[in-house]
Amino acid sequence: MSETIISIKDLRKHFPVKNIWGTDIALVKALDGVNLKIESGKTFGIVGESGCGKTTLMRTLLRLVESTSGSVVLSNELTQNNYSSNKLEDLSNNELRSFRRQIGVVFQDPMGALNPRMLIKDIVSEPLVIHGKTDNVRERVIELLENVGLGEEHLYRYPHEFSGGQRQRIVIARALALDPKILVLDEPTSALDVSVQAQILNLLNDLQKKYNLTYIFISHDLSVIEYMCDRLAVMYLGKVVEEANTEELFSNPQHPYTKALLSATPNFEKDKEKIMILGDVPSPITYLDESKSKLGTELTEQERLEIEAIKGKDIDYIVRSSLNEALPLKKVANEHYARVK
Amino acid sequence: MLEIEDLKTNFNTYDGVVKALDGVNLSVKDGEFFGLVGETGSGKSVTCYSALKLLPKTAEIVGGKISLNGEDITHASEDRLREIRGGEIGIIFQDPLSALNPVMTVNEQIGEILVLHQDDEINKLAEEKEISVYKSEKWKGSPGVEFTIMAFCISFISLFVMLGQFTFSLPFLFVIGMMFLRDYLQKDIPESALDLMVVEALSRVKLPNPKQIASSYPHELSGGMQQRVMIAMALAGKAKMLIADEPTTALDVTIQAQILQLIKDIQKEENMSVLLITHDLGVVAETCEKVAVMYKGKIVEEASVDEIFTNPQHDYTKALLNAIPKGGKERLKVPDIGEPGAI
Repeated sequence: MSETIISIKDLRKHFPVKNIWGTDIALVKALDGVNLKIESGKTFGIVGESGCGKTTLMRTLLRLVESTSGSVVLSNELTQNNYSSNKLEDLSNNELRSFRRQIGVVFQDPMGALNPRMLIKDIVSEPLVIHGKTDNVRERVIELLENVGLGEEHLYRYPHEFSGGQRQRIVIARALALDPKILVLDEPTSALDVSVQAQILNLLNDLQKKYNLTYIFISHDLSVIEYMCDRLAVMYLGKVVEEANTEELFSNPQHPYTKALLSATPNFEKDKEKIMILGDVPSPITYLDESKSKLGTELTEQERLEIEAIKGKDIDYIVRSSLNEALPLKKVANEHYARVK
Repeated sequence: MLEIEDLKTNFNTYDGVVKALDGVNLSVKDGEFFGLVGETGSGKSVTCYSALKLLPKTAEIVGGKISLNGEDITHASEDRLREIRGGEIGIIFQDPLSALNPVMTVNEQIGEILVLHQDDEINKLAEEKEISVYKSEKWKGSPGVEFTIMAFCISFISLFVMLGQFTFSLPFLFVIGMMFLRDYLQKDIPESALDLMVVEALSRVKLPNPKQIASSYPHELSGGMQQRVMIAMALAGKAKMLIADEPTTALDVTIQAQILQLIKDIQKEENMSVLLITHDLGVVAETCEKVAVMYKGKIVEEASVDEIFTNPQHDYTKALLNAIPKGGKERLKVPDIGEPGAI
């Protein structure tokens, strides 16, 4: 087991919901006690559907939003013993700036992440200029572009002149501009075709080997996750419901949600066991007045209709309301944790 | 059902002519679940929009023949096309939130389709049940009358206020108040035949509380529910064929599985033909009977689903299948296919 680069301890982020008088009536528990250890030089995957807190986790890791409670502990590899504290939430503004130099981010939609009015040379050199590394900027930018398979001839072009895959390469080049140790990849290929996706995934693997990068890979595409990640956490409604090494998780899923998620991914194996998840994603709002809270474990109207619809069709299913039960994270195998009874 | 022969569609741009479709042959039989796969720019969407003549002004169909149930609709009139769209062929678009009108309730949007394509049915139902056809029987004067009453009351109120006799204006205030409150005061309004049919359309796609959903706006629904509403709209005109253009791309895998199951169920129950357009080979493998792979405006391979995944013939199909990450950690083979959809 290699060294831990970032460990997340009981991280919570609750967004308050206010009524018109400005008093809190409910909380959206976007992150509700997340514990993770991210290993250096490996790829850590986070899977889950929309609204499960993947992106909030990424934003709290970069301290783009302040966490409600819990801490993010940085390793010596990141702090170099230069900071006043090894906890992310205690860093001063200057320290935070230097910490952010060590994390690069690649977002989902490359066109949205690139300013349409800036030339590629300006886009890629912007982090260098902001962080005051202004020597040999041009050479550095060309080096970065060559790293991702582009070249000098692309310097004086605008983002709209590139295809989707090339734009994502530019975003990756920019993320690497400050020699980060960690790269956060928020659904880097979900806007791309499979053939282009294959190119980008190969590129990411090459870069990881070359610079010994740590990846935090957020995605909802399980085939991509299985291909890229060494370790994997499955999130559901702000909680990690299962965490294990990729092979272990794919061969031996424990939590019902993970099982259903794995079988919901469309693939070519016809006789594969299918488990449907019935019902709609429940709202993550928790009312302070407990009588109003809707998270119950009894069947909802939608679920009853859907169970009726698939009755007699020999399809296995789980219902969303059965996932609402709060269970502690339990060790089920070596380095494999799940919220099961 | 739908037959497309040697269809050629060009887009006229400032940079020249883009041959989006370059001789497409496609035939979807009755009750068949047909998949059309390809990458961005390969022409899958243009194929279905050409078939329905939903192309932008810059596009031009330069050759080929489209026939629906044996009828040649290549040069059909706009009136006939309107009957076909929604009436004989239902369409589901990719992003439900942008395909639904944000300022109309679900009731109004599905009602619109019903009025256009199922008018006789609505009238029949209204006669049978002796209820009104389109509107709920609320007390509602014409807008002109309401406006006159309102103006009348306001002028009297201001007159009495000016004269310093506020008490005389109270009855007029009461009238105005009642006009605003009457929707809430009238509780048991008999539903119209149209309302009943909308509710029926919504319950066909397994939506809970169809009455409540009918009165809500698209943004109040979740992504899966929005897509169900889209499907209800596509089916409302009693279409015999369904064209689904990437119906699950905007959804999560778990919701995607539900929606695909729903489309499969409906296809079986009504024995409809479905033309599913997607870039996801996994989705095709799970749902379709027959697949066509498109590349650069041409269909490069057409076969049954089992055949195409076990024994792909065309190089592009093979490359596409190889590019999907499958478990192992070996390097992905990047298909050497250049930019799709080049001019």
